[in-house]
This record gives sequence, structure tokens and C-alpha cells, in this order.
Amino acid sequence: MEKSRNKDPKVTIKIPRPLYNNLKEIIAGSGFDSATDFIVYVLRDIISHELYRGKESLSAGEIDIIRKRLKALGYFS
Amino acid sequence: MPSDRKVLVIGLDCATPQLVFDRWKEKLPNLKKLIDGGSYGLLESTIPPITVPAWMSMMTSKDPGTLGFYGFRNRKNYSYDEMFFATSTVVKEKTVWDILSEQGKKSIVVGVPPAYPPKPLNGNLLSCFLTPGPESDYTYPKELKSEIVTNCGGYIFDVMNFRTDDKEKLLRDIDELAENRFGVTKYLMQNKEWDFCMFVEMGVDRIHHGYWKYFDKEHVLYEPNSKYENAIQDFYIKIDQMIGELLSVAGDDTIVLVVSDHGAKRMDGGLCFNEWLMQEGYLTLKQKPEGRTQVKHDNIDWSKTKAWGSGGYYGRLFMNVKGREPNGIIPKEDYEKVRSELVEKLEALTDMQGKVMGTRAYRPEEIYSTVNNIAPDLIVLFGDLYWRSVGTVGFGSIHTLENDTGPDDANHAQHGIFIMYDPRGQQKKGKLEGTNIMDVGPTILNLFGIEPPRDMRGKIVK
Ligand SMILES: [Zn+2]
Repeated sequence: MEKSRNKDPKVTIKIPRPLYNNLKEIIAGSGFDSATDFIVYVLRDIISHELYRGKESLSAGEIDIIRKRLKALGYFS
Repeated sequence: MPSDRKVLVIGLDCATPQLVFDRWKEKLPNLKKLIDGGSYGLLESTIPPITVPAWMSMMTSKDPGTLGFYGFRNRKNYSYDEMFFATSTVVKEKTVWDILSEQGKKSIVVGVPPAYPPKPLNGNLLSCFLTPGPESDYTYPKELKSEIVTNCGGYIFDVMNFRTDDKEKLLRDIDELAENRFGVTKYLMQNKEWDFCMFVEMGVDRIHHGYWKYFDKEHVLYEPNSKYENAIQDFYIKIDQMIGELLSVAGDDTIVLVVSDHGAKRMDGGLCFNEWLMQEGYLTLKQKPEGRTQVKHDNIDWSKTKAWGSGGYYGRLFMNVKGREPNGIIPKEDYEKVRSELVEKLEALTDMQGKVMGTRAYRPEEIYSTVNNIAPDLIVLFGDLYWRSVGTVGFGSIHTLENDTGPDDANHAQHGIFIMYDPRGQQKKGKLEGTNIMDVGPTILNLFGIEPPRDMRGKIVK
């Protein structure tokens, strides 16, 4: 398995230097500490949208737990 | 407004203007400081005034119709029983912190529902009371969870056993909930970089529902000289002290907002929605209920049913339309006629003394700018929200003083609170009129010098 061979939780991805330089310029003075932080945020955002698109993000069991709790709270009967 | 300011939003779910601005203000020194030194007023909530969708309406500046969810549970299609649950992933509109993230501002977001599963942002986020359990991944980034467990002893989502007669234990649970969440927020404010911090406390809502009848002399079930007479007041005092701690961490650079998603009012009773629909000939069951029982869809005789309802703090009415529902009987061309007839009858409903209750039945397309997904055919607020909607049948009357979900003393009210305070005194002071829940989002962006997107429906409070 790929997983057992690679112990390091992070991987290196190569991007063109001009793009990197542009990114550095964009994030200067922003709340992003580095181009890496910015890239990770943007990618996670895209991935979370893709993962959840059009499907239930919770299992039936999880929904049932929440539904019971809400019912007990009186939100619906 | 210069953009070097920070903004802290303290959300108190269900905090009520009559209690905060009037009744107990003098006992709440920190809130009093914010009210007297800043601007404040009623905050008009969504219709319906319910936690989901209200907080998201506030943070996206969109109405429930645009958001496409109208409560916790929503119809997935026109079948009788398929529902989808409003989780964080059904929120497609951008929140204030999504926009701030794009601008490189860092946020801390704690418990703003619906927030499970946690979605990425530039900063740190903890999910809300709609999280399945402590084993769930309730933080963004994922690694934050172990840090919260180590430094704050974990994160409490909600009071886990609300329907209990052990009122002593419930009070302790509500206190513990508030202490934990204020503590977690304080920890994040002290240990993470942030420009924007928002936190929603649920304890206020839970204590209103659990203890309202002990202090409100107008409550039908008012119990004089109860040892819980001051339970709600004492809780507000506790919250006020904890707000004071957050204010001192925030410092003078931070503009502070205190807001609620709706208010609370005494509950006079329950209106048995389906019982009424049966009496009026709109709903027919296959088998007459023995005792009190929930209306199960497979016990409804759809060939003789025009409409059915569901219970909660407000009523949702669904119509059985030919060609739309699987066994629909209302011809499409009669839809509006039948719906108008229902509106008229619902709004004429009387209380047990025969007085008109002040019920309002809203057509979604009349109150929302657009209607995405499937809204109820009517959204019904019974008796000016002094009455809840009871879905269960078999009460033998359309009015009940008992609740089909257990003891509950309070219902939601249409108006919450809005307070905005600038320690540097650069904001306008005094009482505000006509503030709407959708105004909060653009107001926050404006404090950062960011022009609100054009599709935000609210206006900037200045
Ligand atoms: Zn609420």
C-alpha cells in the first residue's frame, strides 16, 4: 500500500514559478501566512464542495441521532 | 471605516429584547455598557423565526427562499415522506466568513448553525449543536479537535437530555454548556490569529424553553414562588459576566456585535393542526386514532386528503395536488382556490375563549424573493406565536395545554436583539428602528471596509 510506505503526512507539489510569484503577490498583506496556506485553503474549499455535491453528507444513523435530539428539543413533533 | 479593525459577534440564540433591553438590563453590566454606549434595537427574524434558517439568513444576507431551506427538515421531492436535512453542506450561498476568507481575513467561527460537517475557511471553525457526537470530526482544520480536547476538555454541542423532569440537572447542564462554549471561544481568541470572530451560545434558548413559566406571571402554567423563579435571570447574569471576559480579550480595537436569531415569548398552548384539518374535512385517516398518536403517512387516506400539517414552533402545511404528489387529488387549477380558503380559515381560528388568535398563514412566494427547492405550501404562525403547532392527533380538541413533545414553556418570537458597540466610539449611538436579520452580514463586511456583494439583501446598519 502506498500509505505504509509514505510516513510523511505532507507531499510536495510542483507549480510554475511565475504562478507562485503571482500568488505571493496576491496574498501579501492578507491573512494568509504563505502561498502554501492559501493554496491549501483554496483546494480544501473546492474539494469540500465536490465531496458534498448532491449527496447526503451525513449517514442515515447520524441524521437519526440529530432528528431525535431536535424532536426532544421541541423544534418539531 | 479603516480596515484595521477586528469584529467580534456574540450570538445568543433566542435572546429576547424585552429581557435584555428592559427587564434585566440594570443587572447585566456588560450588556448595558454595549447598549448604552452603542446602537441597539429589535432584530426582525426570518419567517419562520427558527434557528435554521435564521442564523444562515443573518450570515449570508439571503432569505430562506433563496437559501432553499425552510427549517431543519425539508421536502426532498413531492413524495410524502422523503426529506432532506439542513446540514452545512446545503448552504450554497457565501457566508460573511467565506467572503472574508477570500479577502485574506482570518476568522474564528464557533457553533453557527448549521455548521456540521465543518467547511473550510481561512481560520478556525467548530461545528454546532447539529453535530452527531463527540466522535465526529467537528473542527476545521481537522487537527484543531485534539487541541480543543487537550486545552478545553472538549466541546459540548448541546444539552443532551432536554426533556427531563430533573430541572436541577438540566440547569447544571445548561450552565456547563455555556461555560464550555465561552471557554472554547476565549481559548481560540487568545491562541489563534483572527480578524473576525463569531460565536453562538445555545444555552439561552434552552433555558427559555425549560424555565419560562417560573417567572412570567402571564404564563398559563405560572408557578409562583418556585425555586426556579430566577433561573433565567441568573443565567443571563452569568452570560453577561462571560461576555465581559470576551470583551476584555477582544480589546479596544474590536467592534462588538451582540445578536440573536429570534426572541422568545410565553407559550399559551398548542394548536392541534392535523386534528383541525380532520375536523374541517381536509385530512382523512384510514384508521381512527386510538389515543394520542402521530399521523403516519401510511395511515393517511390520500384519496380523501387535501392537506396535512406538521408540528413544531410553527406549522407547515402541505397540499395533496394532482400530478404533483403521488396520490394528489386537488386539481392544479384549484390549487390557489383551496390554498386561499385554508389561509382564510386558519387566520380566523379562535382560542378557547372564542377570541380570534391572530394566526398568520404565509404563502412562500409572497414572503421570499425566490423559492428554491420545495417550501411548504403554507407557513403558519399560530396565535401570534403564543401557540405552537401540534402534529399529533387524538387530543379530542383543537386546543391543548399539553405538548406532544414534553414540557415546554416558551415559543419563539419574531424579533431578536441587535447591539453594536465600538470601544473607540466611532459608530453611531442610540436606538435603531427597522433592523432586519439580513442587515447583519453587510454591516459586518462594511466594518472591514469591504463592499457587500450586490446580491446580499440586507442594508448596512451605520
Ligand atoms: Zn434559535
